Amino acid sequence: MGLLRQSEKLGLPLMNLVRFKGMPILDQLNLEEKLLRTTSDNWCIVNDGANAPTVVMGVSGKPAELLELESVIGDNVPVIKRFTGGGTVIVDEGTIFVTLICNKDAVPKVQPYPRSIMSWSGKLYDEVFQGIGDFQLRENDYVFGNRKFGGNAQSITKDRWIHHTSFLWDYEDRNMTYLKLPSRAPEYRSARDHTEFVCRMREYLQRSAFIDKTIKALDNYFMVQPATPADVNSCQVAKFAHSTRLLSKQELEDACSSTKPGTIAQSASI
Amino acid sequence: MIPIRIVNRKRAWAAVTRRFLTSHAAQNPLSPPPAAVFTGHHGIPFLSHLPSRLARPSHAAAGFASSEGVSIGNFELILIVVLCWRWKRRCFSGIAAAGLPEDGTVDVPLAQTGEGIAECELLQWFVKEGDEVDEFQPLCEVQSDKATIEITSRYKGRVSRMLYVPGDIVKVGETLLKMVVDESQVPAQSLDSQVPIQVSGNLDSELSSGADLNTTGGGGVLCTPAVRHLAKQYGISLSGIQGSGKSGRVLKEDILKFAAQKGIIESSGIPLGDQLQDELGSVQVIENPSDKKVTLRGFQRAMVKTMSMAAKVPHFYFVEDIKCDALVELKASFQKQTTDPGVKHTFLPLLIKALSSALSLYPLVNSSFNEDAMEVVLKGSHNIGIAMATPSGLVVPNIKNVQSLSILEITMELARLQQLALANKLSPEDVTGGTVTLSNIGAIGGKFGSPLLNLPEVAIIAMGRIQKVPHFDEKGNVYPASIMTVNIGADHRVLDGATVARFCSEWKRLIEKPELFILQLR
Repeated sequence: MGLLRQSEKLGLPLMNLVRFKGMPILDQLNLEEKLLRTTSDNWCIVNDGANAPTVVMGVSGKPAELLELESVIGDNVPVIKRFTGGGTVIVDEGTIFVTLICNKDAVPKVQPYPRSIMSWSGKLYDEVFQGIGDFQLRENDYVFGNRKFGGNAQSITKDRWIHHTSFLWDYEDRNMTYLKLPSRAPEYRSARDHTEFVCRMREYLQRSAFIDKTIKALDNYFMVQPATPADVNSCQVAKFAHSTRLLSKQELEDACSSTKPGTIAQSASI
Repeated sequence: MIPIRIVNRKRAWAAVTRRFLTSHAAQNPLSPPPAAVFTGHHGIPFLSHLPSRLARPSHAAAGFASSEGVSIGNFELILIVVLCWRWKRRCFSGIAAAGLPEDGTVDVPLAQTGEGIAECELLQWFVKEGDEVDEFQPLCEVQSDKATIEITSRYKGRVSRMLYVPGDIVKVGETLLKMVVDESQVPAQSLDSQVPIQVSGNLDSELSSGADLNTTGGGGVLCTPAVRHLAKQYGISLSGIQGSGKSGRVLKEDILKFAAQKGIIESSGIPLGDQLQDELGSVQVIENPSDKKVTLRGFQRAMVKTMSMAAKVPHFYFVEDIKCDALVELKASFQKQTTDPGVKHTFLPLLIKALSSALSLYPLVNSSFNEDAMEVVLKGSHNIGIAMATPSGLVVPNIKNVQSLSILEITMELARLQQLALANKLSPEDVTGGTVTLSNIGAIGGKFGSPLLNLPEVAIIAMGRIQKVPHFDEKGNVYPASIMTVNIGADHRVLDGATVARFCSEWKRLIEKPELFILQLR
């Protein structure tokens, strides 16, 4: 209660901070969706590393176009389709996730539109990376120079929005080979392959330093209050149908076989 | 004629309204008029108020020049409209509804979801046709680049038609769905132009009848401007018509029925010339076939863009006849000898392979032009595009690296692409990266076409149907020959006539003497 009064005095909205380490990305995404759709609080979720290499596609991603399916299936890499839009990433223990769930009026001058939200988050991370590397928001990515180290996605509902980022603090080169060169790519990518296009945040700052600086930057916009897992659980409704899902092996195999030349059909070209 | 009348009426109305506002303003400039003013008993209180004002014309209070009402400017008119809109939307129920299409259907477009976002993919609907929706209720979810966005409803109403299915790409501004909305809800944009005119229209009948607006009385009648115009065209007085619409509104069908009953013989009303009247004298009123609007989507929409750009390139055309007798024989032989019953041999793979051979000798034909850099990129691969007509429109998938494929491999790949094209399942990879295009318009028919380039390529070849025509041999005897006419369209900024002519000769040589393929076997 005292904290509430303090925040009201300051005029800053409250934001609940939840921290995890090594939480499976599927669980994280389900939690995020639940908090977005069933609560009316502001949340910041930080997951310091997922638990195992997982491919995460956007809501309308097509496995055949985005993934090297044969190796994905062969190596049993889990593939998830998340509830937000955007591109495909492969996450593992070296990935740091920062998710912001806000009411549409939470930040002044930020409208519930993609550009407006990105512009604000770009400013937020400007503060985090001040003086570190040549940080900038480039199209929809966070880059050092022209190399991407953070990818974003959003979902905007009637009264709220979620903006989540996966930061490549570190990654395995090998894991990048599971991803195809996407047909839809930002212009600045200039058709570079993954190893030429992305970079590692670890070359620029420490893991804990990044997380601390991020929370500190959020303090300028919110009254950040640590929440415990119990707080999180109490906010959620009992039954919730997640949109994020794990693709089954069958689906991946079907997608894989659809890319191979099919049977001959009647000639109908003009 | 009509516009002038409306302008005058607009000013008259504006003058009356101004007088009203003035007199009210004199009492209390800042507050809106008292609610009592807006409680007419038939839903159009504002108008009902006006006649009484007219009956007692008062010279305006101090501060406004009183005149015949022609001195009010556009700004004042807009102000009046805005003020009325803001006070009580409902007071325009009659007027506003009259501004809507007769059945109250509105088009709900995909609104701008963010700067620079031109289109979104529809992910899912939250409603279905027939559902009642509330204002601000989520209708659907779309995806644009990185964000999924819920689109909420501006209106309270009923979903009448959904125009897209999940997976479709919707451009910003295109209609997502149609909704039937309540009379009291007015799309803001309809007010600007509609209200003054509509009000003036009503005022017209008001002034002439001098009575309060009343749906049951002989005074003004509820209907849309379109219906009013139709009645005027037929010279029909609205007051004589029993409206079958809501609240006694006169609909288009009512006019047509009435006109049909009376015929359109009344000489004063017919907008046609005198000499036509006799001919039409005994004709029953038939409804004109209405135009159908087709919004271009998908491949058709892409075609608008690509063809517009192609039209900017200076094309020249080279036409040649190619003797296909040997080709016909070869294809028949393949078909007879084939061991795989699933493989269907056609002319295309042979033509494609021959094209690739010719391209090896004339790589400039297999290039792309970058105007800004003034450079031509000679493409290493022969990715030959084949124009295909699908139910969804024109699409050009390409066979990659034809130079490395056998004729059988080309046959299989062609069939795969055709299957995918018909099912509208071509991947982006299938339709990008082409270096030259073949258009086999002859499969449908025709002698030859003048194709437009598939940019950024510099050549496109349209092939006509193989036709049997009489030819002369060396001895002057007539014999039947299978001739295919081809038309090569080329970018004259890169290719000249001589290059294309030589390239075509080479291609023709291989088609007319396919045994020459053997020389290239490795």
